[in-house]
Amino acid sequence: MKGELSLSCRDIERYLGEEESRVHALRGVSLDVESGSIHAVVGPSGCGKSTLLYILGLLDEPNAGSVNIGATPISHLSDEELARRRNELIGFIFQFHFLMEDFSAHENVMIPMRRLGQMNESEMHERAATLLEAVDLGDKLRRLSRHLSGGEQQRVAIARALANDPSVILADEPTGNLDTGNSQRAFELLATLVREREKALLLVTHNRFIADACDWVHEMKDGRIIVSHPHGQRISV
Amino acid sequence: MTAPLYIALRFATHRKRALLLSMVGVVFGVGIFICTQAQTQGFAQFFINSTIGSNGALVLRSRFQPRYEGMVVSAKATSAPAHRNVFEGITNVSEIMRVSRQFSNVVACSPVLRGTISARAGFETTTAELFGIDPTPHLRTTDLAKQIVDGRFDDFRNNTTSVIVGHRLADFLEVIPGDTIQLLSPGGEYWRFTVAAIARSGVSTIDTSRVYAHARVAQRLLKKSYEASMIIYRLRDPDRAPSLATHFENLFQHTAQSWQEREEGNLQIFSTLRMSAAITVSLIILLAGFGIFNVLTMSVLSKVREIAILRSMGYRRIDISAIFLWQGALIAGIGSVIGCVLGALLTWGISKVPIHIRGLLYTDHFLVVWDWRHYLWATLLAIIAVFIASYVPAHRAAQLQPVDTLRGSSL
Repeated sequence: MKGELSLSCRDIERYLGEEESRVHALRGVSLDVESGSIHAVVGPSGCGKSTLLYILGLLDEPNAGSVNIGATPISHLSDEELARRRNELIGFIFQFHFLMEDFSAHENVMIPMRRLGQMNESEMHERAATLLEAVDLGDKLRRLSRHLSGGEQQRVAIARALANDPSVILADEPTGNLDTGNSQRAFELLATLVREREKALLLVTHNRFIADACDWVHEMKDGRIIVSHPHGQRISV
Repeated sequence: MTAPLYIALRFATHRKRALLLSMVGVVFGVGIFICTQAQTQGFAQFFINSTIGSNGALVLRSRFQPRYEGMVVSAKATSAPAHRNVFEGITNVSEIMRVSRQFSNVVACSPVLRGTISARAGFETTTAELFGIDPTPHLRTTDLAKQIVDGRFDDFRNNTTSVIVGHRLADFLEVIPGDTIQLLSPGGEYWRFTVAAIARSGVSTIDTSRVYAHARVAQRLLKKSYEASMIIYRLRDPDRAPSLATHFENLFQHTAQSWQEREEGNLQIFSTLRMSAAITVSLIILLAGFGIFNVLTMSVLSKVREIAILRSMGYRRIDISAIFLWQGALIAGIGSVIGCVLGALLTWGISKVPIHIRGLLYTDHFLVVWDWRHYLWATLLAIIAVFIASYVPAHRAAQLQPVDTLRGSSL
């Protein structure tokens, strides 16, 4: 593996639910993601992929184990501090794009920037326009997101994830809701942007072809990473 | 513009109808609050101005004998204070007035000789209250000149055998300026006076009984040995009358009564009416608060996904909470401004409504007071109600776990 370590976790344990419905979702998961690399997490439904993603994205806390962003451990950080780091260091892309339906494309992209508060209105507009042009939506800046096609919405979500120039992008089945053509285009776009900008990308996917195109593929089963393959090795999705 | 405010504005514009309905509640609550307060205080203020304008803000009356406590204490001594001896009338009027004028709160003072007499004109006879006054200081102390509705004050000033009659008394006796009125002395003889003017204070008890005569003439008519039975004061700050009354009692050894004490009963009625109106109207604002609570709760429920997205993008709990509190603040702010305008319009409109009151007060239209404090209180009340109504949904929104929403979409 080459590049600087962007995101890592060690011996993550996570239980979900209470009492009789309690599930051991993650069982000692450890992972390293370097900048400029793309990692895929694959596995059957319910194996803990999304749970791992949310813990790495600081949206959920593990019952045991540690998470580091760069060299900084994030355990014991306050909710406010976790939110600040999410805003500055992490970009999320979800399966159902999760855009603000009543916001235009460029307004959606500006949402993380507004929270960061480092740019004025015109600078935010300019950056949002640049990012949307990068995902080939330069002509649809002011269109409400609900009036965009599924593929276009996912591209807006990609632009939004890059809004604050995060070091890590976490994608939860980013192409799961797209047809094959759009899936391929969205992934290629994401992969290009990540490599160009030296980001670390960790994505959860069920798509075999997308997983094959990643630098690393981590296979999960029953809350464990059972095997990790570098690029080109056959996997059993 | 902060991020929560921007998002709050965008959320608000997508729920225009619900928010407008909530705002209407605030608008009407604030508007009606202002209007009712302006009315109730209008009547109270009119009464206060009238009574102070006629009877002064402070009245110094009879002399009393200082109480001394002896050395010998009765075996059955009680803790109740002994009654003091009171002597009717003020003998050293000039000296008391000279000392009184040294007080910064005293604008003017005037001696009055007061007595009860019978007044007769034509075939009508009634009991009246005679006020023997010295026109010049009395004019400085009261609003008598402004209260003249018929005739001229100068005609009274220049003619010692003339009187000014309260307008409802004049109506009863059917006299107008220039007519003759007879006042019965305690000796049983009628004295003849010319009606110089008719005065209307607006306070029923004064207008139905008051007759003003010159002090010297009144003293002879009433056969009083003293020149004044009371001294009335105009004060710079009438609200401080009670403390000055206490001070004057100790200083002059004469009973002193503030207008607040004198009109305590009537003031309590006005105060009760005002409070009752405020409570009733506050219920409207409270109902508006319930409406806002419902609207914002529904908004939170419909924005669960958006809240999760915002949290995933680094928005803090406090930001999420602020989004919904801002929506409440927008409702309260805009609603209060429009409500204040509505309140001013309603107050203006109400002041033009003709009514016919001939009871405690005399008025032909609604009495209102334009007081900025009504607007301030109405706005504060609305802001507090809306904040309470917004806080619960806002808090609930902030406590939502984004993972629960996100996991529900893709496990």
